[in-house]
Amino acid sequence: MSSDTPSKPSASTEDRPAELRDKDRALVAELERERQDREAAPATGERVLDRLTWQRVAVVPAVVAVVLLATWMWYRGAELDSIAKQSIEGNVWPRVREHIELTAISTVLVLIIAIPLGIALTRRALRGAAPYVLAVANLGQAVPALGLLVLLVIWRGIGAETAIIGIVIYAALPVLANTIAGLQAIDPQLTEAAKGIGMSGSEVLRRVELPLAVPLILAGVRTALVLNVGTATLATFGGGGGLGDLITAGITNQRMPVLFLGSVLAVALALLIDWLAGVAELLLRPKGLEVRT
Amino acid sequence: MNFWEFLESRHQQLLTDTLQHASAVFQCMVLATVIGVLIGVATYRSELAGNFATATTATILTIPSLAMIGLLVPVVGLGVAPTVIALTLYGLLPIVRNAIVGLRGVDPQLVDAARGIGMSRLAQLLRVELPLAWPPILTGIRVATQMLMGIAAIAAFASGPGLGNIIFRGVASLGSANAINQVLAGTLGIVILALLFDAVYVLIGRLTIPRGIRA
Repeated sequence: MSSDTPSKPSASTEDRPAELRDKDRALVAELERERQDREAAPATGERVLDRLTWQRVAVVPAVVAVVLLATWMWYRGAELDSIAKQSIEGNVWPRVREHIELTAISTVLVLIIAIPLGIALTRRALRGAAPYVLAVANLGQAVPALGLLVLLVIWRGIGAETAIIGIVIYAALPVLANTIAGLQAIDPQLTEAAKGIGMSGSEVLRRVELPLAVPLILAGVRTALVLNVGTATLATFGGGGGLGDLITAGITNQRMPVLFLGSVLAVALALLIDWLAGVAELLLRPKGLEVRT
Repeated sequence: MNFWEFLESRHQQLLTDTLQHASAVFQCMVLATVIGVLIGVATYRSELAGNFATATTATILTIPSLAMIGLLVPVVGLGVAPTVIALTLYGLLPIVRNAIVGLRGVDPQLVDAARGIGMSRLAQLLRVELPLAWPPILTGIRVATQMLMGIAAIAAFASGPGLGNIIFRGVASLGSANAINQVLAGTLGIVILALLFDAVYVLIGRLTIPRGIRA
């Protein structure tokens, strides 16, 4: 039944010949312009991150690889005292892993919470509540992530669980706003037409509205990932682990190599995650939507 | 000590921190606005340069703020310097992007008309293009300010100024009776500042956006 929905990518990367790349690039640029036009006026309070273009697909991993290689070479030659050694040795991979775990778990939770809620708030029964929820979401953006996290720690005690709750609360609002905006932006004529050919409410949602909202929902996923990888560095202030541990250890003990290593790794991880999300965005976007009519 | 007693006994310190927080964000926003609009003006006419500026500033935004500060400290030391640099860099993104979008969105016929009545290139830019692009730029400034309020709190970890110091004092004394008062005061202070700044921007928008182009 749903095998013909446009939410499935109609072409994967390997069967896209080289001469089509230029066309893709042109389309992406075109889309970027249109999106910027749309965004220009109403970009209030939301942090929409810019979509990846094919040029950036190649640049980011190359830069990250060079930076990591340079850092590795510097680290091998660096002279570390005992305090710095103690902070670094056997402490890097576990922190990286914790950081990835914090980011992944909180992102999944954000999506499970925010996307269904966004869908519910655009249904007829709850539609009236959407403006209020969005107003609260915008207001919530004024709360600093650091304060939110520490208040949660005081309330629930330290640990990774508290950190994840804080990260989820912080990212759920923008993703929710994105989902609602995506569903509201759909041309009402399309949903009318779908109803006109006899689709039920859930069919309209499943076969028309959600596929059309995929680009904005994907942008929301990317926003959540990038926000979460950043907020996860703050987990250290609530005993939640992650790469923030290395950064804070570096500052508190005044050991610049520790601080530098932790920061470089956090930056590299954030860039790579944003890059992955951007590539996924390019590949998963319904092909029919690339040319807006 | 309950929250109100805490506020009363520490109001001097709290007021100083709040003012420093506001002034750090304000000064960095002025800096970011000037640099951001200049970058926008310099790059919007070229497809390549404009997109490069947008992509670069977008990449900076993906960097976790604590890591950015961590990279700055070994170079410029602790204190005000890393705070100002980090805040200005993060503030740039929304302004550069909206400046480029706004300037590119100006109807070319209007620029032609301006040239037709004999305006110089600079006059076209200052009297036609920038006023028309001002609403999206102001939106960028609002978004950036809200973001900087939170980042400034994190910068206190590198001995930066502002309300983050109270929050971190709470973190250091977790479990003590005053921890929650400190963290709550710092957090609410930042929320209030963010809302106040936003109200001022709405007012600035009312006063500076010509009636003809108001949405």
